[in-house]
Amino acid sequence: MDELEEIKITFFQECDELLGDLESGLLSIDAGDTEPELVNAVFRAVHSVKGGAGAFGLEALVRFAHVFETLLDNIRGGKTALRPDLVKLLLRAADVLADHVAAAKLGGEGDAASTTAMVEELETWISGGPAPSPPALPADLQPNEDGIVFKPVTLTLPEVDEGPREEVWTITFQPMDELYAKANEAGLLIREIERLGKIDVELLDDALPIFDNLDPETAHFAWKVRLRTDVPEEKIREVFEFVEGHCSTTIVREASPPVLVEADAGPDIAAIIAAAQAANMEAEPAFTPLKVDVAAVESQPPVALAPAAPVAQVAQPTSPRSPQPPQGEKVNQATIRVDPERIDKLIDLVGELVINQAMLAQRVAGHGFAASSDVGRGLDELEQLTRDIQDSVMAIRAQPVKSVFQRMPRLVREIAGQTGKQVRLVTDGENTEVDKTVIERISEPITHMLRNAIDHGLETPEERVAAGKPTEGTVRLAALHRGGRIVIEVGDDGKGINRPRVRQIAIDRGLIAADAQLTDEEVDNLIFLPGFSTASTVSDISGRGVGMDVVRKSVQGLGGRISISSRPGFGSTFTLSLPLTLAVLDGMVIDVAGQTLVVPLTAIVESLRPAAAEVKKLGAQGGVLAVRDAYVPLVDIGRVLGFQTTEIDPAEGVVLLVDSEVGGRAALVADSIHGQRQVVIKSLESNYQQVPGIAAATILGDGRVALILDVDALVAMRKREPLRMPEPSIQAAE
Amino acid sequence: MIKVLTVDDSRTMRDMLRLALAGGGFTVIQAVDGEHGLEVLNESGADVIITDINMPKLDGFGFIERVREDAAYRATPILVLTTESDPAKKVRAREAGATGWIVKPFHPEKLLDVIRKVAA
Amino acid sequence: MASTLCLDPVLDLKAAQPLKAALTEHRGASVQLDASNVERLGGLCLQVLVAARRAWSEEGHDLTIEPRSAAFSAAAALFAAEDHLGLKVDKDGAVP
Repeated sequence: MDELEEIKITFFQECDELLGDLESGLLSIDAGDTEPELVNAVFRAVHSVKGGAGAFGLEALVRFAHVFETLLDNIRGGKTALRPDLVKLLLRAADVLADHVAAAKLGGEGDAASTTAMVEELETWISGGPAPSPPALPADLQPNEDGIVFKPVTLTLPEVDEGPREEVWTITFQPMDELYAKANEAGLLIREIERLGKIDVELLDDALPIFDNLDPETAHFAWKVRLRTDVPEEKIREVFEFVEGHCSTTIVREASPPVLVEADAGPDIAAIIAAAQAANMEAEPAFTPLKVDVAAVESQPPVALAPAAPVAQVAQPTSPRSPQPPQGEKVNQATIRVDPERIDKLIDLVGELVINQAMLAQRVAGHGFAASSDVGRGLDELEQLTRDIQDSVMAIRAQPVKSVFQRMPRLVREIAGQTGKQVRLVTDGENTEVDKTVIERISEPITHMLRNAIDHGLETPEERVAAGKPTEGTVRLAALHRGGRIVIEVGDDGKGINRPRVRQIAIDRGLIAADAQLTDEEVDNLIFLPGFSTASTVSDISGRGVGMDVVRKSVQGLGGRISISSRPGFGSTFTLSLPLTLAVLDGMVIDVAGQTLVVPLTAIVESLRPAAAEVKKLGAQGGVLAVRDAYVPLVDIGRVLGFQTTEIDPAEGVVLLVDSEVGGRAALVADSIHGQRQVVIKSLESNYQQVPGIAAATILGDGRVALILDVDALVAMRKREPLRMPEPSIQAAE
Repeated sequence: MIKVLTVDDSRTMRDMLRLALAGGGFTVIQAVDGEHGLEVLNESGADVIITDINMPKLDGFGFIERVREDAAYRATPILVLTTESDPAKKVRAREAGATGWIVKPFHPEKLLDVIRKVAA
Repeated sequence: MASTLCLDPVLDLKAAQPLKAALTEHRGASVQLDASNVERLGGLCLQVLVAARRAWSEEGHDLTIEPRSAAFSAAAALFAAEDHLGLKVDKDGAVP
């Protein structure tokens, strides 16, 4: 059943949101927020996971969620006090629940050992609440979510002959006012009985008052139904399930011993009616064991009821990634659900539109229309409109980084556990939106930055005490928009980077010259160099085969930058900056040896036409450019990429001053500049293969393909050799 | 065609209900919580209402009470979704004005059976 | 000539009060109830109709229910109220 599978996908998506809500709710409670609605929201999250899991028969998940939910319900109902150690337990239980969901997603079940251990812990709290400890109960008699042990009342009846033997039953029922008031209907009851077999109905109208005295909303009629059927009594009883307590009902087996002994006579109808009439509101007609009084079940001692959940402010999670196309359904006026492929297609089409518009503009210009002409102005407007459409379309696909941030508290807990450090994670700006293409890829670098911050940045509790800091370290994860990019910051209040040590390691590993003059910032950023690891022993956490160099590389692959700044004794901050989308890019179009290339605008500091005197040759191939007071290495794009053997004389061409993460500033040498343009990124990897120094490709206004430069990679390719040379690095004097 | 309003904050549950109800030939309209349910009811009306209990903003009990206050919906069958057989919740839901209940997880056919029990 | 009262399609809880009120207006003379539009007949309205039929008959007037929709006839049969509503006599003439 296809649609059911689709709902299952929705279920798991929803689970992720619910688990996020669960965790953030628990974290708020942990942080001291006493808002009662938080407990309700947390309860609802577990409850919803359980509900959906039940629908798909995910037994193990349901069982665990049930125990978890029971404890949360006790807390919600005030039966169990919410102590700090309990909150920690709940957080760990949330992790186990998440494991179960993850396992169920793959068609398996959560780890039995950790589940059993957690269930035991949870049950200790469930039974240890202020309520008297219930005796150990068999699994099928566990208290339900209100902590009430549900006794299957219907099963306490004496054994009845089983087997599909046809029998005759006399069912007499007298609806009360309540039955109608709750929108139940006597006629429907008769119809349901009729479904069970052959019926013979008699209307008992004795109690009907005269017309003038009749209150139209008071129930007076009763019915006696003779039913010939082979279904068991439970089935008949089920008909009256919804009207228990709102209807005096007797169900008597004819022609064989009655259900409950005492074979007096047939039911005295008049007496029933009279009694029911008298006790209309009291619900319990005074009759004898002969009758099975359904109303009695209802009027058991009232159980403690949880107070009505107060009004909550939990935003309805909406996921634009739902697989379901909207089919005239009305979920929430505020959101619609769209197949993500449709949006991707739309974005592609708008990309084509941008290219087409640029081509048109170029052709029009080629025909000599001035920018101030009608045609030129019209084109301007078209361009503006095209951009607006593009922005709007991109906004559809934008998502808050929350989905990524939500996964981090657990990671932090795990790393903290492994390192023996105490960590509090503070997040900020989780509603910052970024294109889906970026969202999908920021999780990994954030994970590494967090690992690094906790493993290398934070001190052990003892060290912290010695340094006069609180034992618990703080790691801050924040997202913000800055300059058309998204910036992710991971900061810690740890010891900061040990610069002399970092420097020494870099020298020992031949990454920098022994006498290289580096600014503090440059020293800090040495940790991103390939093969660098600050820990003398590779730790279990940061040493999982991924150094910060790999992180930087993957970030660069996204057109992003990563850097670190540090204050010894006060901590370090990683700053990751990424484009808001991987679909379009603002670039500078340049010409190198007859090739048209695009340099991402974000990397460019400025463009210069250097004087011959400012260019200094160094060795056979290298050179530097004097920019104000500093020397900047020259990078001949054509030569580095290998499509030109002769050098461009920087004095004859144009120089683009760029900022790279690897080696600070560099000067890219080109023949000429064509100007700025927004280009649509076409992946080279998916259309061709990865090429060093090239980030992607695009199609220009004139229809030609142009390559988009990967500035950092390009500079690194140029720098790698000189850096290993014994001569002093002059990459960025002062 | 009988119009059923389903009120549930779980998208999964809304989808399950829609699937089952559409299979039974019902028109389905949906709301995500009690408050939204009242809005949708105001705009579109409904012949039968199915509501969850645990919901943000306005829970199932409150929602049912508010629906019953409206004279137009005094006789409209309202079914609550509950997990397991929970007598306390059922009692409470009926006090609020519920007609009956549906136990989660439900089989689509069982759901249709339940609706048949309360809707003409 | 008896006056005619046209019954509402849905005769449920909400309809019981108005039904009694409408019938009361026709008190003191024979009345013919047109049940051809009735889609649903509930227990409370059934009580009103049965009580009315008795009241009319005691006062020597007629209260007939005709024509009747299939749904009305079926509901009356299900409730075993055909006698009470005086339907059996002219059952054959009922609108199917």
